[in-house]
Amino acid sequence: MDGTPARISIKQLETSLVSLRGLEVVLGKVVQDDWDEKMGPTPYPSVTTLRSWDHRLLQRYEPFYSPLCDMCCLCTYGKCDLTAGKKGACGIDIRTQQGKIVLLACLMGAATHATHSRHILDYLIKKRGRDHPISLGEEVILEAPIIRTVAGVRPKTLGDLEEVVDYVTSQITQLLSATATGQESNYLDYESKALHAGMLDNVALEISDIAQISGLNFPKGDPNAALIDIGMGVVDKSKPVILCVGHNVAPGAETIDFLEKEGLYGQVEVAGICCTAHDLARYRSGAKIIGPLSKQLMFVKSGVADVMIVDQECVRADIVEEAQKVGTRVITTVDQICAGLPDMTSTSAESVIEQLTSGKQRAVLVRDPVKVAQIAVKTALSIAPARRGQTVSKDEEILAAATKCTLCHECRRACPNDLEIDVAVNEARSGSMQKLLLLYDFCMNCGRCVSACARHIPILDLLEIANREKIKNERFKIRAGRGPILDTEIRNVGRPIVMGEIPGVVAFVGCSNYPNGGKELAEMADEFARRRFIVVASGCSAMDMARYNDENGQSLYEKYPGDFDAGCIANVGSCVANAHIIGAAIKIANIFAKRPLRANFEEIADYILNRVGAVAIAWGAQHQKAASIGTGVNRLGVPVILGPHGAKYRRAYLGRSDKDERWMASDVRSGRSVYVGPAPEHLMYVAETKEEAMVMAARLVMRPSDTSKGRLIKLSNYIDLHRKLFGKMPEDFHLFVRTETDLPLGMKDVLLTMMKEKGWKPKEIPELGSTILDRLVSRKV
Amino acid sequence: MTVAVPWQTGNIVGPKNALLLTPENCARLLKAAKRPLIVVGAHATKPSVGLPDLIEYVLRLAKLIKAQVAASPAVQSQFKSSGSQQVFGLGLEDLTNRLNDKQWKGFDGKGGYDYVLMIGGVYYFESQMLATLKHFAPHVRTVSLDRFYQPNATFSFSNMDLGKWKEGLDAMIEELGGKD
Repeated sequence: MDGTPARISIKQLETSLVSLRGLEVVLGKVVQDDWDEKMGPTPYPSVTTLRSWDHRLLQRYEPFYSPLCDMCCLCTYGKCDLTAGKKGACGIDIRTQQGKIVLLACLMGAATHATHSRHILDYLIKKRGRDHPISLGEEVILEAPIIRTVAGVRPKTLGDLEEVVDYVTSQITQLLSATATGQESNYLDYESKALHAGMLDNVALEISDIAQISGLNFPKGDPNAALIDIGMGVVDKSKPVILCVGHNVAPGAETIDFLEKEGLYGQVEVAGICCTAHDLARYRSGAKIIGPLSKQLMFVKSGVADVMIVDQECVRADIVEEAQKVGTRVITTVDQICAGLPDMTSTSAESVIEQLTSGKQRAVLVRDPVKVAQIAVKTALSIAPARRGQTVSKDEEILAAATKCTLCHECRRACPNDLEIDVAVNEARSGSMQKLLLLYDFCMNCGRCVSACARHIPILDLLEIANREKIKNERFKIRAGRGPILDTEIRNVGRPIVMGEIPGVVAFVGCSNYPNGGKELAEMADEFARRRFIVVASGCSAMDMARYNDENGQSLYEKYPGDFDAGCIANVGSCVANAHIIGAAIKIANIFAKRPLRANFEEIADYILNRVGAVAIAWGAQHQKAASIGTGVNRLGVPVILGPHGAKYRRAYLGRSDKDERWMASDVRSGRSVYVGPAPEHLMYVAETKEEAMVMAARLVMRPSDTSKGRLIKLSNYIDLHRKLFGKMPEDFHLFVRTETDLPLGMKDVLLTMMKEKGWKPKEIPELGSTILDRLVSRKV
Repeated sequence: MTVAVPWQTGNIVGPKNALLLTPENCARLLKAAKRPLIVVGAHATKPSVGLPDLIEYVLRLAKLIKAQVAASPAVQSQFKSSGSQQVFGLGLEDLTNRLNDKQWKGFDGKGGYDYVLMIGGVYYFESQMLATLKHFAPHVRTVSLDRFYQPNATFSFSNMDLGKWKEGLDAMIEELGGKD
């Protein structure tokens, strides 16, 4: 595409029909379509373009609602009680209202990612120019699989991405309007809209990440990307420390550039928390990662950072306040987080530095990444020496506060994970820190216990004191986010994935609101990698997986190769790099199976649903962004498993393995109706325990079009995991057996006997596979 | 009506909250159940939540009220001495989805359940499953047998410590005629 506006000028035209003088027509853009792939059926789909696909999915995977609140408080009619069949004043019932809330959550997520993509794109266009090429390296020809599939365009430059951002944002507005009182009135249509919002979110992810890979030269699918230090103890406190918190790498990257330009890189520590940390490490391997969102409060309270740069997303609402308490200077950098601070974007850098250094201002808003970098570095250099000398231990004061504990249990009752904080704090009264020591790995540092304590005991500070040595030495290795999956990797694994010889792709994604600490995530990933699944990771999950060493002192990233292949663990990067995991599923359909992807969402999704054994585990999903990413992934036919806190998203998409009629599809060759169930059994499922999630993942990678050899391998993993984790044979394994050739050989006789008792009968396996899209049937009978 | 504060204090759900039951009243209520199902969650034997011998309590209760037992797969293997009592394993979200369906014929295919008794679940997760049943399964009455008040149940015990809870469960079993 060429972004140059076309100008047509007619000085004078006289015909029998018209007489013109001085006509000038300016076209904003001329599209030069040199893509040899024919335009597919659904370019830039509107809110209703893919509605029939959504409804087909929702017929099989019905929305399952678990309301978090029985009331509707969205308009002045309310509060309306919607309990058990009651309707609100506007006529809405609880099911429809839950659909509305889910859509709102997905829209928050999608809008956040869309804004992120706009910010990063504007920054990079300013820095590199509109014509800067999108390049993900020589081994990635299919650079934007989601954008190609959804929009039907093939972006070549940063400027080409602008119209895609425009599309996403305009659709989000359309969807948001449907949530107003008096608009959409059907829960399934709310869900269809939520699926649309999720898809838009996924497009926004891809815009952001391909733009920043191209514009900032991040790793381009490198399985051997650098190993990076991660942990609460990785920062060299003798140096000035700049901490970046959030998701937008621009100010952090500029900070590194400035340090390099001034010859100071290495003399100042640049560290990050949350996805900004991922992206800083993709930019320069010397950047350090403190950890995921759950480490934000404790690290900031430590006062180690001299300057904190706050960008966007997943930033605690009290973080500016907490930073100021410990003398850390704060610079917020985007419209989304002004934090009540004076806007000093137009003030000279020297003046801002002087005000921050002198303490006249302790926190400011500066919406210019280049200026932020200069201010952050100079302020950190200026205040660090004095701050190092000022360190005053408050340990005695904090320990004394513990003696005020009355064991009222309010801290435990405020804790999202019901941790026995009460007992631990009470024990600290007598000087024993043992229980506080044990809590550290399970605490998500949300701080609700601190707010709940009527005696104002600084519980997180106590936790820090108890774990000081551990925190000081907390240092692990994570592989920097590699970005895209290479086309060559897809060629290598496409066939074994679709045939089932690689049992599946398991993606560990999402936030850090875990039910039992982050270690469970590492244990799950380790198990699946050992079983030769392809394991991929992103965001907070990718970080937490790194934060545990095995008996040889190695993290998972040191233990397993970083390829997209069986028995490997690939960290793709930050949240927005989730686009590459989603894109890999699309690439399998396109590169391996030669399915046309251009504006061809339904066919690609149908292919993935029926053939690509991929599943995502969002074990600590907390943010609305995780809801929108996951819902978008669902529209593409990939199931998602959530941890138990995920029930508070209020909605799952559940199949019913006992209802055969829901599992009918069409034989691609003949069009005959065939039973293909229950695979994949659910689209979004909340598991109560890690063990349940793992066994469910082994179930959800099964697909109707698995070859017998593939199903045999998948079934073996399912049965074996079930026996290992639950101590017995699964009662329902026979549901996944289509013919005897699906059965694992070593257990065949035993299984056949059990199946006979259950009245199992062989089922047909469509030779060329199945589809739920009528238009894909070759010949109807 | 007596109203209790949810164990997780932020879990305020709306105007309709579980009616408080004493263990003795609970026993009387359960005598009226025609086809009860006991649902055992993943925290049944977790020290700070459940009891080491909670599985035995469940089996005794099931026998007394002729209930079927379903367990979260993670605890199903702990029912080693279940004798003739069959324990069905199913993820609680999947199970709740089936309980929502009035047409579902239960694990044995003989019909749906009129009482669903939940015990030992992850508190907030169990709360969400109870919310589903509260809104969408009017054909089911739910009872939380945990030591934590669950507002989304139809009936719930109040918040109590482990000792009181154990005493209460003993009293309930005794009231149902199950004194050792």
